[in-house]
Amino acid sequence: MNAESLVLGTSLGLFAIGAAGALLHRHPVAMLMAIEVMLNAANLLIVLGARTRGGADAEAAALIVLVLSAAEAVIGLALALALFRRKPVPDVDDAVELRG
Amino acid sequence: MIQLLAWSWLFTLPGLVLTAFGVPSGRKNAGYASLPGPIITLIVAVIALVGGGSFSVGFENWLPFLPDGAFRSLADPLSALMLAILGFVASLVYVYSLGYMADDPDKRRFFVYLDLFVATMALLVLAGNLAVLLIGWTGVGISSFLLISFWRDRPGTLGAGLQALAANAVGDGALLLAASIVPLGCGPLVTLGSPQCTTGFGGAEFLALLLFVAAAAKSAQGPLYFWLPNAMAGPTPISALIHAATMVAAGVYLLVRTHALLALAPEVSLWVAVIGVATALGASVASLFQSNFKKGIAYSTVAQLGYMFAGVGVGAPFAGLFHLFTHASFKALLFLAAGIVIHGAGGREALRDLRGLGRSFPFSRWGFLIGSLALIGTPLITAGSFSKDAIIDVAIANQPVLGWLLLGGVILTGAYIGRLFAMVYLLPADDPHAIHHDPEAERPMNWSLVPLMAGAIVLGWLGGWLSGVLAGPLDGVEPLPPLLNFTGGLAFILGAIGFLGVAWYVQRPRVEPAAAPAETSYRPDAWVRAIADAGYAAAVGFSRAQSGLLARYAFGSIVAVAVVVLLRVSLR
Repeated sequence: MNAESLVLGTSLGLFAIGAAGALLHRHPVAMLMAIEVMLNAANLLIVLGARTRGGADAEAAALIVLVLSAAEAVIGLALALALFRRKPVPDVDDAVELRG
Repeated sequence: MIQLLAWSWLFTLPGLVLTAFGVPSGRKNAGYASLPGPIITLIVAVIALVGGGSFSVGFENWLPFLPDGAFRSLADPLSALMLAILGFVASLVYVYSLGYMADDPDKRRFFVYLDLFVATMALLVLAGNLAVLLIGWTGVGISSFLLISFWRDRPGTLGAGLQALAANAVGDGALLLAASIVPLGCGPLVTLGSPQCTTGFGGAEFLALLLFVAAAAKSAQGPLYFWLPNAMAGPTPISALIHAATMVAAGVYLLVRTHALLALAPEVSLWVAVIGVATALGASVASLFQSNFKKGIAYSTVAQLGYMFAGVGVGAPFAGLFHLFTHASFKALLFLAAGIVIHGAGGREALRDLRGLGRSFPFSRWGFLIGSLALIGTPLITAGSFSKDAIIDVAIANQPVLGWLLLGGVILTGAYIGRLFAMVYLLPADDPHAIHHDPEAERPMNWSLVPLMAGAIVLGWLGGWLSGVLAGPLDGVEPLPPLLNFTGGLAFILGAIGFLGVAWYVQRPRVEPAAAPAETSYRPDAWVRAIADAGYAAAVGFSRAQSGLLARYAFGSIVAVAVVVLLRVSLR
């Protein structure tokens, strides 16, 4: 088994774990963590591609993903905080109505 | 100045940002930051109109999916005139709104929407090709929706706004189709009639038809009239600015701008004229039976737009544009005068509730009287006569049947405006205590009427000068009829008969008060409702997908991505 397929397998596994977590959890912070895992899985794949193909553009894309995921976490945590204010144990499925 | 004018659609955007971010702070001061925008637009437009010349800005390949996807704006005397009208009415409406919306908790949002409207309307007027026109066209439609539905918690306002959006979408679709068949290199809109522009699908006839559909949707003509009377659900300053003076006139502006193309399609021109005349007569009759003050004036707007369409259709684009110019002033005056009474009556609009209440608002009473006289076309002393007579005169010369129908329609004009004036401003009030005066809020409203009164009286004298200024951009204009001509006199006599006759009829002594008119509602016609119900049913079906359950959304997107990837792999 060479290094590429090892990294590829790790990336796929991480993505599957993240996707399952995002689908099954209903606590907003847990969902955010799962989404971060998915983003990192994708990032791993991008870096792997950059390694095999050479060139820095894909690595730049990976850095952008890092920045974007930080920004996304800020908004996501703000939403989570807003949910905490309403209920001690927040559940994203309670927020199906937009109004109020 | 004309170079600066080409960018005038940016003038209200600083005000928009400042107002949106709460500068100056406090509800009382909300909106002051927005005031300079329209005033600067007015000043720059007037200086550019006097100075003349033209200037265009262009960035190529801005929207690559359209054949002519450049960003092109063109400032010439015609757009300067439209921007002067927009700046004039908008400045006064802004001042008026400071009083009218003084007690509204959402005053700030109101001014932000107003700024958005003025910016998109200026972009529409400055458009140098169909791509930019389409953006302005859609933008004013959206701002119109936002402002009609401004009081979103009141029943009916959201429906009225959605109707406007639906009718405008018809026009936007036609315009998008037109933008996608006009080939590259057609230059400004004025030259759409040139041979290389009409080589697309369907030729000149089809292109003219598309522009006519777009204009009819925006100007509430023919079967697409239904949204404008219901648009009165919005605040009164909006009715004056958007749904009387500027946005609804955009259809007329488009047809005037592209009249060279219309001239190549005589059948479409005839349809424009016939639809205009039919709308003018039908809306005049409809206005006579309205139980809502503002809807009565709104049908008058539909009718006057019909006169403008008829003018363009019979080959008198300058007369149509001239009527647009004078109509903007006196119809805004009528609406703002009506708004003072409505504001004083606590927002009630039904004629039954407003009976005689206008007597205690002298500015409003005089303003409405001057506006009515201009609407009828009183010769020499009001602006309306100059422009309306010009339309009727050319119509009688080119299409006699339509011309005489338009002339006869003036009696209806006099009748409906006489009815409104008599009911609100002449009858003794049932309950004079039904109004409350608020001098603080009334001061800006009253004084903003004064320039409009002056405009409704004197703007007609500018006709000769305007025909000289616009001869270039319009590629020649038809001559205006002489002052005090036969048809003009006849039209005024008919209008005066209608006005005085109905005013007397409303005021006649009677034992039993008339049966109470039906409760005002913004309910549309049955066929409009049927279409809306079908759309609603479809929307309810699709909205099942929007459960709000995040897990379901995430599962859906993961499945969709997996399907796409599998398809891609299997098709390789």
